[in-house]
Amino acid sequence: MHQTLMDLWYGFSVALQPGNFMWSVFGVLIGNLIGVLPGMGALTTISMLLPLTYVIAPVPAILMLAGIFYGSQYGGAIGAILLNLPSHPPHAVTCLDGYPMTRAGRGGAALGITMMASFFAASVGIIVMIFLSPLLVQIAFKFGPTEICSIMLLGLLAGATMSRGSPLKGVAMTIFGLLCGVVGTDVISGTTRYTFDLPELADGVELGALCMGLFGIADFLVSVNRTTVKPSDAKVSMKDMRPTRAEMKQAFWPMVRGTMVGTLFGAMPGTGPTITTFIAYALERKIAKDPSRFGKGAIEGVAAPEASAHSKTQVDFIPTLSLGIPGDAVMALILGALIIKGVQPGPQLITEHPDIFWGLVASFWIGNVLLVIMNVPMIGVWVRMLQVPYKYLYPAALFFICVGVYSTKNSLFDVGEVAVFGVLGAIFLSLDFPVSPIVLGFVLGPMLEENFRRAMLLSRGDLIVFLERPISAWFIGACGLLILAQVVAYARKLRLPPPRETAELVAE
Amino acid sequence: MRLPKGLSKDHYGALMLLGLGAAVFAMGLGYRMGTLNRMGAGFIPVVLGALMVLVGVVLGVTAASPGQSEVAHPLPGDGIQKGPEWRGWLCILGGVVAFVVLGEHGGLLPATFTSVFVSAMGDRNNTLKGAAALGAILTLFCLIVFHYGLSLQLPLFQWV
Repeated sequence: MHQTLMDLWYGFSVALQPGNFMWSVFGVLIGNLIGVLPGMGALTTISMLLPLTYVIAPVPAILMLAGIFYGSQYGGAIGAILLNLPSHPPHAVTCLDGYPMTRAGRGGAALGITMMASFFAASVGIIVMIFLSPLLVQIAFKFGPTEICSIMLLGLLAGATMSRGSPLKGVAMTIFGLLCGVVGTDVISGTTRYTFDLPELADGVELGALCMGLFGIADFLVSVNRTTVKPSDAKVSMKDMRPTRAEMKQAFWPMVRGTMVGTLFGAMPGTGPTITTFIAYALERKIAKDPSRFGKGAIEGVAAPEASAHSKTQVDFIPTLSLGIPGDAVMALILGALIIKGVQPGPQLITEHPDIFWGLVASFWIGNVLLVIMNVPMIGVWVRMLQVPYKYLYPAALFFICVGVYSTKNSLFDVGEVAVFGVLGAIFLSLDFPVSPIVLGFVLGPMLEENFRRAMLLSRGDLIVFLERPISAWFIGACGLLILAQVVAYARKLRLPPPRETAELVAE
Repeated sequence: MRLPKGLSKDHYGALMLLGLGAAVFAMGLGYRMGTLNRMGAGFIPVVLGALMVLVGVVLGVTAASPGQSEVAHPLPGDGIQKGPEWRGWLCILGGVVAFVVLGEHGGLLPATFTSVFVSAMGDRNNTLKGAAALGAILTLFCLIVFHYGLSLQLPLFQWV
């Protein structure tokens, strides 16, 4: 306890160093700015700015990335509430009640509640992170390659099956991601695999190029001439952002419950933020006295999902940093950036790089305070940003993608990779395949392969070892349950006509 | 995309997985397999390729026939009628390719202007003048921020 507080104090001293603080502020600001723009989610923002982190030190780099993450998440909520435009899938539920509130003239209050819910949830998430991480580290030290392997498997399976859309397609995309991770030189034997005799591919596929193709170019290809963003006539001023006392009272418990849902799901590796927000929303609707209010501008429907998204974001850093298992694609990107910087996430991270871990924890708090301070006076600016037409937005973003990917390694070949992944991503999207599991697979793939091969070497090629070691057996059992649940859900869907409403929400 | 009758998106997806998985599997056989104890470079890719084929088969078998494939919970923006959008597609990809080609043979500024101009023309609401203006603004921005500010390695002009 005492030690934890000392560590936290140390974290604040790291996070407040001028260099680190500046990058953190920059991250929050730019994340919020880009997150507000229509069609720009946290993923696009982070992958566009990923090249920038290659030139700065690891600590400010991750502080900046984290700032971008929660900044853009908050920014995304603005678009969802004012324009009915979820630029990041978790905000889709916020649209359901946030946009009706805007139409009823209470958009400002919805934003105000979102801000309070985010801050509250983030604070709880940070506290959980502070006290849970050291505990998890003690367990994580018992992890050998076998355990790492099975928990990665669980993470990948959860990420594939518990995102939006068909679980089978999610699994297929995870496998595709793993295959993208295979491309390049095999670390153990030195053989180059799937490089098509291109020397540029010997180092593997470039993470930035993969993400920019899948989330940038593919998205432009799918939405060009198809998205009609209606100009928002919403006028929100600082004064409107204060919710009434009745609204605050109404939103308080949903906020607390949403935070709990987010915290619970954040600690589980592999569960994406989208399902978290959907469950928080479904829960509110289930326990509401008058469920018919939902979808027509119920403030609970804004507070609960937004709170769950933000607490999940914070808690998600626990498995990402202490086990090296990212919760979703955004976390996978942050993990990838850390690995590029030479920081290996895992149980040893907290002891080997206390500056990263505790600095990050402290910067979360600073960043969230900044978000609140920044967003109240700047709301007018954000509303105007929402008006930027798509026809100017995407060519500019395309240029930033090209320059960003080029600057990573000064390689135009990588920019070509962006185009390839753009086409692939557009094909996947048009066939209703989710693309975010690809990133999860791509980042975890090389680690999974290495640990699997090491585990097999240690056990002399005996697969039973995964069931013999107790911790590993638990994870494998959980994997089995996940698959079983999907099969049962499918069988049930065959037998009876699909039950509507909540079941559908949860199924996503 | 308009799909022929009888085959749904899921069927096409399954076919894609089958093709992709089979190709990966076949190429993987070219690398050393090794045993489970000492795996060669080809082991994991072959297993992954086989898994992908398996998922493809299951997807194909369980696929709903067209029209029946339901979107569980439509997001705003889902379900808009979609026809092929060749102009948009070609212009966006052309923009990226232009950056690669002109970056190699023209330099940073021509590459920037062309990629922005070409991709902007993909949107039917953009005029030649508007696209050119956008290109010019971003080229200027690129000169100041990326060349002078961040000293990007790509030369401003180069003729190779």
